[in-house]
Amino acid sequence: MSSSTPSSSAGGVGSADSAAPRRNSKRPKYSKFTQQELPACKPILTPRWVISAFMLVSIVFIPIGLVSLFASRDVVEIIDRYETACVPDGYKNDKVKKRMKKPIYVYYQLDNFYQNHRRYVKSRSDSQLKENSSWDDVSSCKPEDMSNGQPIVPCGLIAWSLFNDTYSFSLKSQQLAVNKKGISWKSDRDSKFGKDVFPKNFQNGTLKGGATLDPSIPLSEQEDLIVWMRTAALPTFRKLYGKIEQDLQPNDQILVTLDNNYNTYSFNGKKKLVLSTTSWLGGKNDFLGIAYLTVGGMCFFLALSFTVVYLIKPRRLGDPSYLSWNRNPGGH
Amino acid sequence: MSGWGTSSRTVTLGRVQPQSPALRTIYCNHREANFAHRYKGNSISTTKYNVFTFLPKGLYEQVILLEFYRTETGIWLCDSLGISYDNFLLFRRVANLYFLMVSILSATPYSPVHPITNMVPLSLVLLFSLIKEAFEDWVSITLHAYCSIPFLPLACALIDFLILSLFLVWEQRFQNDMTINNTLVDVLQAQGWESLQWKKLQVGDIIRVKQDGFFPADLLLLASTNVDGVCYIETANLDGETNLKIRKALERTWDYVTPEKACEFKGLQCYSAECINSSTKIVVKVCEVQCEQPNNSLYTFTGNLVVDNQTMPLSPNQILLRGCSLKNTDYIVGTVIFTGHETKVMMNSMNVPSKRSTLERKLDKLILALFSTLFSMCLLGAIGSGIFIDRKYYYLGLSQSVEDQFNPSKRFLVIILTMLTLLTLYSTIIPISLYVSIETIKFIQSSQFINKDLNMYHAESNTPASARTSNLNEELGQVEYIFSDKTGTLTRNLMEFFKCSIGGEMYGTGMTEIEMGVAERKGIKVQEAKTSTNSLREKGFNFDDVRLMQGAWRHEPNHDACKEYFRCLAICHTVLPEGEETPEKIRYQAASPDEAALVLAAKNFGFFFYRRTPTMIYVRESHVEKMGKTQDVSYEILNVLEFNSTRKRQSVVCRYPDGRLVLYCKGADTVIYERLGAGNDDLNKVTRVHLEQFGSAGLRTLCLAYRDLAPDLYESWNEKFITAKSSLRDREKRLDEVAELIEKELILIGATAIEDKLQEGVPNCIQTLSRAGIKIWVLTGDKIETAINIAYACNLLNNEMKQFIISSETDAIREVEERGDQTEIARFMKEEVKKQLKQFLDEAPQYFCSPSGPKLALVIDGKCLMYALEPSLRIMLLTLSLNCSSVVCCRVSPLQKAQVTSLVKKGARKITLSIGDGANDVSMIQAAHIGIGISGLEGMQAVMASDFAIAQFRFLEDLLLVHGRWSYIRLCKVVMYFFYKNLAFTLTQFWFTFGTGFSGQRFYDDWFQSLYNVIFTALPVVIVGLFDQDISSSLSKKYPELYKEGVRNMFFNRRIVAIWACFAVYQSLVFFYFVSLSSSTSRDSDGKMFGLWDVSTMAFTCVVVTVNLRLLMMCNSITRWHYISVGGSIIVWFVFIFVYSGIMTRFDRNDNMFWVIYVLMSTSYFYVTLLLVPVAALLGDFLYLGVQRWFFPYDYQIVQESHKDDADSINTPDSQETKEHLTPDEARSNAISQLPKEVSKHSGFAFDSPGYESFFATQFGKYVPPKAWDVARRASMKSKSKPK
Repeated sequence: MSSSTPSSSAGGVGSADSAAPRRNSKRPKYSKFTQQELPACKPILTPRWVISAFMLVSIVFIPIGLVSLFASRDVVEIIDRYETACVPDGYKNDKVKKRMKKPIYVYYQLDNFYQNHRRYVKSRSDSQLKENSSWDDVSSCKPEDMSNGQPIVPCGLIAWSLFNDTYSFSLKSQQLAVNKKGISWKSDRDSKFGKDVFPKNFQNGTLKGGATLDPSIPLSEQEDLIVWMRTAALPTFRKLYGKIEQDLQPNDQILVTLDNNYNTYSFNGKKKLVLSTTSWLGGKNDFLGIAYLTVGGMCFFLALSFTVVYLIKPRRLGDPSYLSWNRNPGGH
Repeated sequence: MSGWGTSSRTVTLGRVQPQSPALRTIYCNHREANFAHRYKGNSISTTKYNVFTFLPKGLYEQVILLEFYRTETGIWLCDSLGISYDNFLLFRRVANLYFLMVSILSATPYSPVHPITNMVPLSLVLLFSLIKEAFEDWVSITLHAYCSIPFLPLACALIDFLILSLFLVWEQRFQNDMTINNTLVDVLQAQGWESLQWKKLQVGDIIRVKQDGFFPADLLLLASTNVDGVCYIETANLDGETNLKIRKALERTWDYVTPEKACEFKGLQCYSAECINSSTKIVVKVCEVQCEQPNNSLYTFTGNLVVDNQTMPLSPNQILLRGCSLKNTDYIVGTVIFTGHETKVMMNSMNVPSKRSTLERKLDKLILALFSTLFSMCLLGAIGSGIFIDRKYYYLGLSQSVEDQFNPSKRFLVIILTMLTLLTLYSTIIPISLYVSIETIKFIQSSQFINKDLNMYHAESNTPASARTSNLNEELGQVEYIFSDKTGTLTRNLMEFFKCSIGGEMYGTGMTEIEMGVAERKGIKVQEAKTSTNSLREKGFNFDDVRLMQGAWRHEPNHDACKEYFRCLAICHTVLPEGEETPEKIRYQAASPDEAALVLAAKNFGFFFYRRTPTMIYVRESHVEKMGKTQDVSYEILNVLEFNSTRKRQSVVCRYPDGRLVLYCKGADTVIYERLGAGNDDLNKVTRVHLEQFGSAGLRTLCLAYRDLAPDLYESWNEKFITAKSSLRDREKRLDEVAELIEKELILIGATAIEDKLQEGVPNCIQTLSRAGIKIWVLTGDKIETAINIAYACNLLNNEMKQFIISSETDAIREVEERGDQTEIARFMKEEVKKQLKQFLDEAPQYFCSPSGPKLALVIDGKCLMYALEPSLRIMLLTLSLNCSSVVCCRVSPLQKAQVTSLVKKGARKITLSIGDGANDVSMIQAAHIGIGISGLEGMQAVMASDFAIAQFRFLEDLLLVHGRWSYIRLCKVVMYFFYKNLAFTLTQFWFTFGTGFSGQRFYDDWFQSLYNVIFTALPVVIVGLFDQDISSSLSKKYPELYKEGVRNMFFNRRIVAIWACFAVYQSLVFFYFVSLSSSTSRDSDGKMFGLWDVSTMAFTCVVVTVNLRLLMMCNSITRWHYISVGGSIIVWFVFIFVYSGIMTRFDRNDNMFWVIYVLMSTSYFYVTLLLVPVAALLGDFLYLGVQRWFFPYDYQIVQESHKDDADSINTPDSQETKEHLTPDEARSNAISQLPKEVSKHSGFAFDSPGYESFFATQFGKYVPPKAWDVARRASMKSKSKPK
């Protein structure tokens, strides 16, 4: 405290130091850090700031919300639950309500199917899928690791329970081609599933879980498997089945021939067939748009109500009468 | 050295050291005999660890409850003694142990996560803790060597650098120890001195230490080359005192200077034949030392030296402690008593009291709450899993050979095992890096901010503040009671003659601190002082008035009174002059500093007392008529009627050279006025008014009076006096009675006013602190009058207050005391104290309840306190004193100081702070939550025991209002933020569990989870803990009321925790459901679907961004470090995920993560969501902050708002203001004349008597000369000692 607290200029510091005896002085050196005088911006959340922040959010969010919502609304989606009919070789008639532009994506949707169950998720062998050399690396695949004393390729519960319903579509009794190429992520195809890995000893056990695989096609080209193996986050999920590369007109009647092979009855799972187009934001999902609009709307509402409160009952900033010791002197 | 005797008691209060009652018996110069006792060697290690033991030992300490048993016992012991004990380490270890268990658990098949998930953060945290330990280990030494560590916060990131420095550090410390251990010393072996390394010394060795050498161990002084077996030592290393101290060997051993003689000195148990045989050559004496076991009391020693069956008692006077050095002596011979870590100095160095802050104890509760949350979450999930598991989910393969944890037929087992699974999964709810972050923050706060604060640097004593522990920074922000010592802390222990009243005229133009304070409050500008006319003003004389100085008093109308006044000052005292007989060089040795100040004043007025013989006093008087001439006058001192606390006066009967017989008397106004003769009422009245003015200005007053004696009257009285003096029974009492006969019909001359000089800025500081809601208690060993006087001077008492005084100096008590029956006295006093307490308690509410009523003050003295502290009365005392705005306890012993402190600490559960400077404050310092020592003075005892050391009382303002407040707010923020970020993160995982059939599947990748706490969210919160400032330091001091927010714990209570928890829950819901719901359809124009890992990466990105942004939202000040750390954390996350998902290794299961971020970023969905989720998540927080600030603003927010425009310019005017009250000496002025004269019914009589100095000394068996006449004999001691 001998000299005045050094101001922010470094010059003052030097002179103060030289005045004090240099030798043996324990005077702490001045630095903005130790004196806690680092330049800082000190934002104060004044009503003005609150209102403008809310306004800004609403201005940005409402348009985005509208755009997202429109994008979602543009998407034409036909969902059809089919496992209730309980017919092994079913026929389904679906009516197209709006024009659907190609490509039209075909999904199957499973409900109450826990692809994210811990036992299920880890029951796979990534190294086996990737490289032929580690074809016998099935340690993580229990209980579907070995069959008849031989390692299964691809092993594990996920591969074993591969979805095996099939769909074929016809429009006006004309077969609609379903393109099953390019339905998986490219990174999966290229890096996770080996070109030289072929199914082996698959579904040879006593209990068949699902689809069988053509042992002559390498895993990297078994796109149904690749899609299936990218496990879903939630027990309700969609998986891409294929693409129909043809526009559909309103009131087109599509006839779906389906093989209802996959067993979801034991656990009351639902199966749905979904035909959908996409927008820039993907498939039909109003959630984002609505969320944006809600947040934006709420902000707008809050901005308005804060403005009203601000106008009706303003609080003078920094009014000392608000200080607690001024409000009730004497007590504390 | 009155205070030293207390230290032994202090030790028992502080940390109990187990002492075996047995004596230590040392056989001198007989290694074989001593060997059996296995005393420790003399090698020391000051590092906690060394290169080899660091890793194992450090890890062990961090993780395992190394000292669990001992600490547990320690806690119990200390709790029963009222001392807080450090179990912070314990708790941290529990936390670390928990993580170790979780890590082990995660290596089992039940774990959903790879062991790496918990191992990585644990090992990172441990590594960091270890580095920090080593760093502190190092810094604790170099800190004092003024080593600056720039940009310490950056060091957190520079782990590599630290590892490197780590080894350098050890190298250095280790080297240091090695050098010490390898120093050579002469040891007696066979017939001569031989050099031996220090570390090879053993107990019982006889060694020789040469001049300027350091003692290698605690030694018993046997002989020295000086005559009389005296040697001089310097104890600077021990207590910082640089003056030499004398040690004296026992006469019996004086001649053991030469090796030949010393060889005789051999401790043999000469009972065996072998022994006698081997000692045929020389005469062997049986010699052994019996002494106490090693302990840490520096100033006590008990033991006996047994030579030839002759037992001689040893005292500290024969002990040379390790660390001291030999001065002015060629060499000494001594025998080693304690070695190595058993030496007193080493045992003391371990004795830094470590305390835990209240906030941390509350934090433990929070952690416990988190544990129970964790447990209930796990239980919920586990029960769910038991219900869920069913064979119908055929795709889970549950039908055959299923492991136990999924076996539907063993549901109970499933529940148990899933518990374990979920425990590892949710382990992140306990913030693993919390403790290490807090410690780091606190360490930097104390070492960089508190220690280097220029505002707390005292230039005069060249002392910066020093935080001796980093545990208590935030405790400083919550102090409610301050217990302060008086002498040395509030006052400088410097008495200055300040004003006087002579013959009804008041002289002296100075202004006391208290008057300046009054002036300031009344808005009167204190003018710059004109340069003092008496430029050679001495220490002890701070008087200025042109009417009196430099002989001008001759021209005063009442110059005869002046003459009488000055003579009285020069004659009536018991001061001894020392040194050359010139006014410049003479030094006065007085039993009390007041007396010295008075004699000094007489000297300055021209009545120079220069020589005293047993019967004469010689005064060099400036000639009464002629200026500049002096004449030596000798007065014959016939009788001295000494001062004591009942008489409260002192008289001298003297005979002038011309035969005039005068009795000069000085004493308290009350006793003098009683004894004044008739007449002169005007003078008496005016003087009384003056006395009251002095009193209200905080000055200590004495009245001077004289009486001319007729020779025959005197002679007859003198006879009585002589009989009384030679009486054998009740001499004191009879002397008092005789004195009473002559001390009457006095004529008043005037009054003196002495300033017990306060430390700089004390009244202002006290004023500020009390505005901050802090109550200040003064605990002093002084007499009740002195204490009250100082309390007035410090603004703690004033006349508007209702004062409750509980004193043992009442007539009733005195009467009982005179009867001398101890049990009767005790009973009576207890009754009396109880009666008074009851009466005051009944009275108190009527004052306390009315808002405009007077404030209450309690004054209690030590004897009464002793009874009031008894369990039956304790509650009454506490209730009464808590209602008082100030409390003064006087004549209290060090132990009572500690008792009062813990009464408030334990009884009222308030946070207490003790501040003191001397050894007698040590117990109090250790008993309080926070102990503060005044540093920069000679003694170091208080500082050694303290948690913080500051040079001046007024620095408390900075320490509490600025550093304490900031630390508290910062720590609260850090803790709450940790709580929030881990809760929010873990809860997303929890919500996911519901969607996975309660299987315990992890939502996030292992590495995300493990690095979340230690990398992606670690640094910003540390930055906040260091840099956040709600308001600047000057505003903190300008609005001390803001401090109350901390006292009321407004930033870390259940409400705040609940609010944060709500937002954590809300945010986690947003994170999980927004991301998972929005990704239920294809999120890519190619129609492809996301998998689990895409969704989780998306969610994690949102969590990291949101949590970091939330941090920015809670900052009051945002420096560039905030931007760097927050931005850096987010960027680090992206860099990490780019790399992590871009490479594919054979290890781990990261194939799942392959290319995930690229897939995500190729979709527009990613960006849309990344904008939505954080905004939606933070909306609630933002709304809360806005509403809170708008409608329910905190006080600090109002202050922020009112000063938001002048944020930068505030420093300039304020620092000027501080400068002004920095140099009050210069600021003193004539402004007193402008002051409305306050008249006080209190006139501060105070006169330190030598008797009171021995008050404690006698209690501890110390010999302190009771008479002022003995002053000369202890002149050498005088300079070191300080009356307490």
